Amino acid sequence: MLKIEKIHYEIGGADIIESISFDARKNEFVSIIGPSGCGKSTLLRIIAGLIKPTGGDVICMNKRIEEPVREISFVFQDFALLPWLTNIDNVKLGLSYFDIGAPEKDKIAMELLARFGLEGFEYAYPNVLSGGMKQRVGFARAIAQEPSILLMDEPFSSLDELTATTMREDVLNMLKTKDIPVNLVVMVTHNVEEAVQLSDRVVVLSNKPTHVKQIKAVPLKQPRNTRSKEFTGIIDEIYATLTG
Amino acid sequence: MMALLPLVASLVLDTSVSWLRMLVALFFSMLLGLGIGILANRSELAERIIIPLLDIFQTLPILAFFPVVIYVVVATLPGYIGINAAVIFLIVTSMVWNIAFGAYEAIKSLPVEFVEVSRVFRLGAMEKLLKVDIPAAMPRVVDQSMLSWAVGLFYLVTSEIFSTGSKSYTVTYGIGVALTQLASRGNVLDYVVGIVVFIAFVVVTRFLLFGYLERRFIKRSGRAAQQPNILSRILLHQTLVDAASKRISGFGREVGRIAQQGPGAAKKKRAFAASGARRATPAISRLSASRFYHAAVLIAVVAVVLLLVTNQGIRNDEYLVLVALALSIARIWLAFAVVLLVAFPLGVYIVFLTRKGTAYLTLFQIIASIPATILLPAIAFSLRGQSFSGELVAFIVFFLSGIWYVVFGIVSSRGTIQENVMEVKKVFGVRGAKAWRYIYSKAVLPGLITGGITAVAAEWNASIVAEWFTTSGVSNGTVITSVGNGLGRLLDLSLANGNLTLMIIGLINLTAVIIIVNRLFWKRAYRKVMQVYK
Repeated sequence: MLKIEKIHYEIGGADIIESISFDARKNEFVSIIGPSGCGKSTLLRIIAGLIKPTGGDVICMNKRIEEPVREISFVFQDFALLPWLTNIDNVKLGLSYFDIGAPEKDKIAMELLARFGLEGFEYAYPNVLSGGMKQRVGFARAIAQEPSILLMDEPFSSLDELTATTMREDVLNMLKTKDIPVNLVVMVTHNVEEAVQLSDRVVVLSNKPTHVKQIKAVPLKQPRNTRSKEFTGIIDEIYATLTG
Repeated sequence: MMALLPLVASLVLDTSVSWLRMLVALFFSMLLGLGIGILANRSELAERIIIPLLDIFQTLPILAFFPVVIYVVVATLPGYIGINAAVIFLIVTSMVWNIAFGAYEAIKSLPVEFVEVSRVFRLGAMEKLLKVDIPAAMPRVVDQSMLSWAVGLFYLVTSEIFSTGSKSYTVTYGIGVALTQLASRGNVLDYVVGIVVFIAFVVVTRFLLFGYLERRFIKRSGRAAQQPNILSRILLHQTLVDAASKRISGFGREVGRIAQQGPGAAKKKRAFAASGARRATPAISRLSASRFYHAAVLIAVVAVVLLLVTNQGIRNDEYLVLVALALSIARIWLAFAVVLLVAFPLGVYIVFLTRKGTAYLTLFQIIASIPATILLPAIAFSLRGQSFSGELVAFIVFFLSGIWYVVFGIVSSRGTIQENVMEVKKVFGVRGAKAWRYIYSKAVLPGLITGGITAVAAEWNASIVAEWFTTSGVSNGTVITSVGNGLGRLLDLSLANGNLTLMIIGLINLTAVIIIVNRLFWKRAYRKVMQVYK
């Protein structure tokens, strides 16, 4: 469904990403993990069409991605809510691709906010929300676009651990829901345990100039026992690859 | 055209004299500013008295007071000592508030441990001053001085140009005077040469004087050292509007400081509060400030009413002033409306829509370093005699005085806008009118406000030459341009007629209007907007 082919990215003459290639299939949850500065956030933005790679292609369902498209949505690390718009207006931004009237947009946005547990906060501004709530608005906005692919840039790293744990579960449940069209998630993270908990496959990146070191499959059934031998074994393997 | 070399030589001479005035003013401003800042930190009482006063002074268009200053100073110190003292005094009043605020804030935000160190090691008052307070304040003082210099240039040029109005108080040498003379002779090319010389002086000063001060007193952290390019560092007008946020007393000052320092500063501020360091002052000074203001306003109102009731002459003067004031207000705000119409799309373009933002910004900074009033003689002389020349000249000068503040206000607020605003726009496909409505217009709103308040203040400052321009001091000309009626014109005429009472009444009314508009409009607008923008 998503083909990353020989992505190369350099800036100011220095190679950040040397060559990255991998596939992502339907109904998969793929994590990208790598050392600081290896360009994983940049890679995600290249996939989103926000940044142009200096070489290589991103192919999504046989279409080359050169700019953002409706089928690919994005959840930001710092939530990226526009502070001067109400929460419902922020969610409605996700409906910009659709040519529908304002009342219908309102209805859809209200439903989404309710689904994410934010009923009552529609007309408030982001500044009254906690981090977890802001990220939920971020998710609502991203889902509003009805994307088939959801890209997430360290979506839980700005949250405290308790909130993050809850949200990880919520995201997994959300993806199981029938009426959410997302059937591929690509998540960038620096948290190995998080990657192993959520993903079907983990793409492990090297240091700069970055290439794919390993693609580790996680064939464990959800919900995963984070203390099982298999789980910790996979974590150890990935750490070994990262530091090796 | 005059022969080039003697022309340049004479212009350099004139500009050097102007610069001498500036340097003297800068020296006194730094001294005074440092002193005031230190004093305000001495005790809570001192703080409560000084800070609100600084706030008021900073919002007033000091240049409008120039006629009164000339009248009083020249009466006491006649001749060229008097008039130069008046000009220098005026420049000091334009510079000193910024510097005082900088020193005050720098010392205030000293970690409380430094004060404890000086107590534990029993540093004497002088020693503490020399080893703790002054070194702590100097980086901010230098920073603010660069800003104040830009403001001071506007005052310098405008007051020199103003002084050409009468033989009794013309300064003999100065770039403002030189340019007025060139304009009266109709030498366009010479005029341009004059402006080039002026810019050259500005650039050289930035390198030599402020470069030295910067190296000596400001240790640049890596982040601050990454200024985009040399030229924009030279002219630094962007920070001019950061100072504007300080004009919105108390509240805006705090936010302005944070905005100036970027995202990391909010964290620093929290740490500072948590460390039990000095109490969060803005709240306190705002509270006592309002008590102070209320008392002062009450006294003033009572005094005014008494005077009006008992004195026919004053009633007449007040009536004259009110009419003139109303017209000037209309003129200035009309020009401001046009400024907004132009600056808003221009600012949005620079911040959001172009990749060459830095290049444009640098270009504008160079243009903006030329105080609008330096073009006044040229504009006035070329439009002289045309119908509506008075109003047209006033409009052009007001427009040019205000536009850069709003543009830079918008552009400098870019630092407070999150980086991912553009990413959000692209990911979710927000385009065209939607982008303007939901993103651009809202994002630049804080900058529009902080830029706007400075722009309007600048327009008021320019009004004493924009509304009435005469050069009887350097030529045999009569009044070159004049509006029908207006406060600037009224103040100038009062000076010419020696009518001190009218001048004072005019200034009291102007001050009242400025303060009222500041509180009821600008401060409220800013607070409302900033409640939501974090």
